[in-house]
Amino acid sequence: MQNTSIQFKKQVTIKLADTRLQDALSRLQSRFVEGRSAVISEIHDLQETRTAAAAIRDRVINNLEHWLVHFEQQATARGAIVHWAETGADVNRIVAGIAAQHGVKTAAKSKSMVSEECGLNDALELAGVKVMETDLGEYILQLAHEAPSHIVAPVVHKNKEEISDLFAEKHHLSRKTGIAELCREAREVLRPAFLNADMGISGANFLVAETGSALIVTNEGNGRLVTTLPRVHVAITGIEKVVPTLEDVTTLLRLLPRSATGQSITNYVSVLTGKKNAEDHDGPVHFHIILLDNGRSSLVGSEMQEMLRCIRCGACMNHCPVYQNIGGHAYGWVYPGPMGSILTPLLGGIEKSPDLPNASTFCGACAAVCPVKIPLPDLLRKLREKQLQRGMKSWQETFPLKVWAWLALHPSIYAMATRIGVRLMRMMGGKEKLLHTLPGASGWTEGRDFPAPSGKTFRELYKRGEGQ
Amino acid sequence: MRIGLFVTCLVDAMRPRIGFAAIKLLGAAVCEVVVPKLQTCCGQPGYNSGDRKSAEALALKFLAEFESFDYVVVPSGSCAGMIRVHYPALFKDDPALLARFTALGQRTCELTDFLANVAKPEKMPGTFQGTLTYHDSCSGLRELDVYNQPRALLATMPGITIKEMVESTTCCGFGGTFSVKYGELSTRMADNKCQHIADTHADAIVGGDLGCLLNIEGRLRRNGNHSTRVLHVAEVLSGMDEEE
Amino acid sequence: MNAREKILSKIRSVQTKSSAPAISFHLAQHPRGPLPPVPPDLIACFKERAIKLSSDVLETNNRVDVPTLLARYLHEKNLPVSGVCWPSLAGLPWSAAGLDMQSRPAKNSDLIGVTGAFCAIAETGTLMMLSGPDTPATTSLLPETHVAVLDPRHIVATMEDAWDLLRKEHRQPPRAVNFISGPSRTADIEQTVTLGAHGPYRVLLILAPL
Repeated sequence: MQNTSIQFKKQVTIKLADTRLQDALSRLQSRFVEGRSAVISEIHDLQETRTAAAAIRDRVINNLEHWLVHFEQQATARGAIVHWAETGADVNRIVAGIAAQHGVKTAAKSKSMVSEECGLNDALELAGVKVMETDLGEYILQLAHEAPSHIVAPVVHKNKEEISDLFAEKHHLSRKTGIAELCREAREVLRPAFLNADMGISGANFLVAETGSALIVTNEGNGRLVTTLPRVHVAITGIEKVVPTLEDVTTLLRLLPRSATGQSITNYVSVLTGKKNAEDHDGPVHFHIILLDNGRSSLVGSEMQEMLRCIRCGACMNHCPVYQNIGGHAYGWVYPGPMGSILTPLLGGIEKSPDLPNASTFCGACAAVCPVKIPLPDLLRKLREKQLQRGMKSWQETFPLKVWAWLALHPSIYAMATRIGVRLMRMMGGKEKLLHTLPGASGWTEGRDFPAPSGKTFRELYKRGEGQ
Repeated sequence: MRIGLFVTCLVDAMRPRIGFAAIKLLGAAVCEVVVPKLQTCCGQPGYNSGDRKSAEALALKFLAEFESFDYVVVPSGSCAGMIRVHYPALFKDDPALLARFTALGQRTCELTDFLANVAKPEKMPGTFQGTLTYHDSCSGLRELDVYNQPRALLATMPGITIKEMVESTTCCGFGGTFSVKYGELSTRMADNKCQHIADTHADAIVGGDLGCLLNIEGRLRRNGNHSTRVLHVAEVLSGMDEEE
Repeated sequence: MNAREKILSKIRSVQTKSSAPAISFHLAQHPRGPLPPVPPDLIACFKERAIKLSSDVLETNNRVDVPTLLARYLHEKNLPVSGVCWPSLAGLPWSAAGLDMQSRPAKNSDLIGVTGAFCAIAETGTLMMLSGPDTPATTSLLPETHVAVLDPRHIVATMEDAWDLLRKEHRQPPRAVNFISGPSRTADIEQTVTLGAHGPYRVLLILAPL
């Protein structure tokens, strides 16, 4: 998927004015924030479980080579073929190759954010493979030619009316208005795709090293259909998704659905190991697992390594006040919200995403709910440090801050400068004691007044023994 | 108990009354309050913009000025959080300084946290009458666990009714330089906060961080609301909340 | 160097202290993480949580009554009376109860699929299904109604208990282990949960001893 995060600021203006989007985003609070809150209390000791989950992820990341090799050994022993891909383009090439090898004409796909990174669908279409998205949200996006705006709820930005219109236009059936009717229609339209597909494509939420298995969590049943019916199954995921044992993945499974959708457990958890045995009636004859790097290995051993713990639950964006106001598309790539503001610069190049690390107040709501305790605001701050070190910040931004820091280190001059400054501002505030404009701070005063200072500084009053 | 008061740069420049309110409250709790004369800024603006070096320099200045006190009290969640959480993080590779900053951080408290958990004064001098709603500073809440403390202190004042707003813990959109750099977004977040405040019909919105309060007041007034009062919790608790 | 070598050597170059023996120990121990408290009455707990997740639950002390229970359920809901079942259930008196049940894997046209289950998990009201020649995965997936006949003695407390049971009874996991926690569902449209997406619309659990 193309990285357009450089357009962030422009997109913010557009998204803030989009009333339909704003209406859709208001549902995030009740469904995801309150949903999570209602079920997270089912975990006996949440902090203990989060700590255990972070330790599980760190155990793998700190020994990544050996866990990956063990996973590969186990998976291969059960008949899966494991591929390694350095870039998204490599993934596309590998999948196209598998399709050609097995005479694949149609593929049914369940949700995979990694495949979005690669732009897999377009590459397969070019290679002559028809790809049907089957996750309801992803299917809707495919019809509308849009990108997902959330990693778990891809069409959170659309309302029911838009989907009714879309189905009526594309399915050439009567226009349905009820949500249940729309779901039933999608089921009936997509069922043949499952039955006739030559290849199933999925992601993997986790890779279990102990057994060489790919683990997928779904609710709709499309994940099971896509990995059971077609004769070829390709699972694509990132190299950081390895988890050591079944017990470890279970600890993560307690946190993932609760953090993501407010469910105690997703409707289906599928643990897929190897290919169809001769006596089985179902299952893929050929099972391929593709491990994608795409910049993840650069994070290993770096000060940003903690970002690799991410289990893609989406809790951070659900609770982020910035995301809640602009939605996911403004972030310009596959991953939005706080985790996207870190991953997009790291995987896509920091120079392409000047705004993402900076469009945060560091309120910390994300870090408070991250099931694997990623210190998201700290990582964003580190990206800001990198930007400063590489001269990526404008002098209009750095100069005033440098002046401020210098003054703060020189208390007498600071005292004089502030005494002058506050008197000036008090004067500008006039009778109303409000400034309607402030030089150099139009970002504030375009939408807000600035309350005038009282006119004297605390330090001067205290020194004079006044004010007590 | 010998208390060092760090008033913060915003209080010093914008609303000194908050600093004097803090002195009154701490004095009422029988503490010796000292105001180090050369204090300026905790360094958060530069730190959050990626300038570690200036933050380190200001941290060392702060250490020199405040290390000797039994407690350091700060009428701001974000500055207290900077001192307790981020100063040690800045020096995590220097064991000696890390130890000193960690110890100092543990003795550094946000004002209401100090009053509620350490000083425990018998009575609040304030005489505010009416309803108020409380906005929680993000740093105060998430870095320092400040939530119950201001509410418990306010609840001791007989003339006050606290009306909780929806999403009191959601960020108001200030975020330091964010408020200028991403002004449109910041204004929208402030607007959401103002709507939640309006829905409570409270006489005043009260908080522990002046940055938040300036942001909220700025949006209220631009929206045409000149009646809802915007007050720092120290002003309300101390009785120094009369119109100036 | 191929992609595998490039990726692994990149990781190796920054992880000089990593080792293979460390992973063997952890694999051998496979320690459990923090467990949720599960009430001691596993059957009651399982039933309560399964119902909460929109499964229907019926019970009988006599396995031979299963077809009658199912027939009544299907009539009440105006559902068809023909379907497919796993071979292990073929011996039940289906036709006596007026049901046409064929012992074969499900096809797309089958509307009712009757399975057993390897075990069930009380913690979340979940069925654990293992794929195999006598336990085809399509039976619980393609039809609109999935019926699972479950021995209540096969209900374990937690997912960890289920993995231990799998390790005890099978050398290694089968091609597919599926946890099923109710009818398929989606909330993609306006975040409103709708039952019956691509998988079954309804799940009926019949607790009956083996």
